[in-house]
Amino acid sequence: MSFINPFAFTFAAALPVVVVFYLLKRKRVVQRVSSTVLWQKFLADTQASAPFQKLKRHWLLILQLLMLALAVLALSRPYFSTPTAQGRLIVAILDASASMQSTDVVPSRFEKARTEAVSWVDSLHDNDQMVVLQASASTQVKQSPTSNKAALRRAIQTCSVTDGPTRLAEALKLAETLTRDQPAAEVHLFSDGAATGLSELENKGLRLVYHRIGASADNLGLISLDVRAHPEDPSRRALYLGIANCSTNEKSSSLELLFNGQLLETRNLVVPPRSTSPQVFTASQAKDGIFTVRLGAKDDLTADNQASIVSLLPRPSRVLLMSKGNRFLEKAIKTAPNVELENATAYIENQKKYDVVILDDVAPTVWPTANTLAIHVATTNWFPGWKTLSAPPIVAWKNTHPLLRFVNFDTVQIAESLVVASNSWAVPLVESTQAPLMVAGELKRQRIIWLGFDTLQSTWPLRVSFPIFIANAIDWLNPAASQAAQLFVRAGDSFRYSLTQPLTNTTVNAVSPDGQKHPLSLEGGGRELVFGDTAKQGIYHVQIGTNDLPFCVNLLDAPESDITPRTEMEFGKYGKVKATTVQRADLEFWRWLAALGLGVLMFEWWYYHRRSV
Amino acid sequence: MSAPLLSPDLLRRLEQFQLLSRRRSKSSARGERRSRARGQSVEFADHRNYVPGDDFRYLDWNLFGRLERLFLKLYEEERELPVTLFLDASESMAFGTPAKFTFALRVAAAIGYVALCGFDRVNVRLFPENPAEGALRNALRSVRGRASARGYFERLGQLAAQGSADFNACLRREAMQAQPGGLAIVLSDFLDPAGYEDGLKALLGRGFQISAVQILAPEEVAPSTYGDLQLLDAETGAVQEVTFGKFRLAAYQKCAGQYCQRLREFCQARGIRFFSASSDTPLEELLLKQLRQAEVWG
Repeated sequence: MSFINPFAFTFAAALPVVVVFYLLKRKRVVQRVSSTVLWQKFLADTQASAPFQKLKRHWLLILQLLMLALAVLALSRPYFSTPTAQGRLIVAILDASASMQSTDVVPSRFEKARTEAVSWVDSLHDNDQMVVLQASASTQVKQSPTSNKAALRRAIQTCSVTDGPTRLAEALKLAETLTRDQPAAEVHLFSDGAATGLSELENKGLRLVYHRIGASADNLGLISLDVRAHPEDPSRRALYLGIANCSTNEKSSSLELLFNGQLLETRNLVVPPRSTSPQVFTASQAKDGIFTVRLGAKDDLTADNQASIVSLLPRPSRVLLMSKGNRFLEKAIKTAPNVELENATAYIENQKKYDVVILDDVAPTVWPTANTLAIHVATTNWFPGWKTLSAPPIVAWKNTHPLLRFVNFDTVQIAESLVVASNSWAVPLVESTQAPLMVAGELKRQRIIWLGFDTLQSTWPLRVSFPIFIANAIDWLNPAASQAAQLFVRAGDSFRYSLTQPLTNTTVNAVSPDGQKHPLSLEGGGRELVFGDTAKQGIYHVQIGTNDLPFCVNLLDAPESDITPRTEMEFGKYGKVKATTVQRADLEFWRWLAALGLGVLMFEWWYYHRRSV
Repeated sequence: MSAPLLSPDLLRRLEQFQLLSRRRSKSSARGERRSRARGQSVEFADHRNYVPGDDFRYLDWNLFGRLERLFLKLYEEERELPVTLFLDASESMAFGTPAKFTFALRVAAAIGYVALCGFDRVNVRLFPENPAEGALRNALRSVRGRASARGYFERLGQLAAQGSADFNACLRREAMQAQPGGLAIVLSDFLDPAGYEDGLKALLGRGFQISAVQILAPEEVAPSTYGDLQLLDAETGAVQEVTFGKFRLAAYQKCAGQYCQRLREFCQARGIRFFSASSDTPLEELLLKQLRQAEVWG
């Protein structure tokens, strides 16, 4: 026999107390009377001078001790391990994303979700099992399947809310795996429903119960932030940010811009209900530093009221253009800001001094080591194979990628193009009906853009989108730009930073915004820093010896800032799960009964002795 | 100076009463009570033949004229009625508000006054023995005549309740020492651990016509002290522990009532007139109502 709650045996300390109560003789008031004859029927205890009397064999005492011992035994919850029928498996998923920090319910949505989850733990039957998952930017298994309610409560208590976005799909897929071949399994999701990426998830018979947490949506939040060179004045920096109002009322707020903690500008803004307000700040910058924007509005969610970004001073990008002659391309490169262009008609092997190499229909003898834009380069070992397509139509392009920002291919025709098979490191950006025409990616810390068609064999150079793409490409390929991008991390994502020189025998620590130090791991032969504990947003500092490298972790997630509690969640194309407002839970109340029994026992003792004569 | 035991108004009302006895007096002293003895009085009793030596003044000459035989007229002798008051003066009688002993003294004074007014002899016997009050107690052993009433009251007022008494033993001893026959009034609380039966039986054996008056204090009828108590018996010194509360008051009163009822039944079964009174009862209630209705006096 084992005990689920062995700490209840501490109540056994009450056993000697009962005995002492019997031994203890109460202090009495001496009263002189004429005669004790009439009191004879009321006499109970015989007189004794000692404060304790001899313990007699008292049936009432024995019964009380027996009852108390049984109550203590019941509170310790003994059990026998015997084979029994399999019970239910309940997967409890706690949404620990930033939106669960909302205080529209007291004390917060996450605490409410935690309380509801604990009440479900209390309702578990003896042979039921439960799994506890915490879902935020990543999914953590807080407790594997168990019937141990104490362990489940502990696991739920260890869950903590993060500043990251919700990626429920990962948690639901894990739940689906856990509940496979379990007909009585249930998945209980404690969330406000603010999640993305569920459209790709097909609900295959998952018994999902959605416990909606949240009441209102009063929030004004930052959803995007970027810093670039000012398009009209390259000596200044421009900050582009987006502010979303997810409430149904117009909201006004102050907006502050700080650089390295110093206030630069404050402005007031009014955001209409359910809309987004773009804002642009311009500021001069004398050295590398951190811009911080701060909203002053008081709302239900504070996690999205502040964001920071590392701004590095722009450095001229040294570009080597190897081309047989392309005026359009050359002019487009020169139009781009901060570019020092050198032309070459033939291949140059010594490219160390260049930040970006552009190969325009030139086959290299040795592939460049710098970041490269390869245009119509056929003989490449970057891809497993290639072929030629005649007049491929452009059917899709990924304009969410930084390379294709403000780039449109609607009126672009191509006479002929090389196409390659897709590869794991490259992302297709422009696609024809059969194969991608443009891919981009990072291979061994080298950024590569591969364009399959000769621009002179297309109408693209005549379109406005061409110089925009070239400017985007040079900016993306600039190592300074990629370095700045590495210093901008979304909450929950890993921080990865490439080093120019490998580190050996050097202590590297990351200091989080709350001042805690975390050792950093070095990968790639000491040339890449990796840090994964970015659940809280703010400014982190990497200490490499005596050097300090700051990086910023931000929420900046529009679905997460929209804290409107969803009444239903959509899964895939057709699946929907409605919020469950009332869900029956079998709540045990034996503890209260046991405690009441103990109370009655104590009261009985007190009342008996009060009445006894 | 302490307050008088009886008020003048009550004394005037008591003068109208006379103690009633169901038996003829057996006393040898002359008085105003009828007796079986023959002697000088105005009440004719019988005739008997003349024998030489009889007083000629008692010859019935009318009968001699009709029968020409000498007969002597006999008259009833009037004797006194001894009234003996057995007064419990133990420590327990000193309790109560007012004290039980004070009440008992007032009852004794009233009965004694009625007896003195009826030319009966009053004999007060106190128990337990108290050598310090020896002279006082001896003076109360035989009081007669209305003129003695004032001294009788003064001596009663000087008595005090103290010491412990074995009710049965004391009553047996006093009964043996007292003049047998006549009225006996026992004034006590009858709260003795050893009981009261033997003492009363001893009085019956001595031919007394007994009236028992039980006097209890209000605190004994309805105790007002609650909580965990250690009761100390004033007479025996015995200690009893008790936890008492309002919720037990009814049970206590029932228990006390049963005790008094047993005493009443014991007395009624033996022809003893029984009276019960609390020490805060108005004296007139007992004297003018209960004793009169029970024909102790009339």
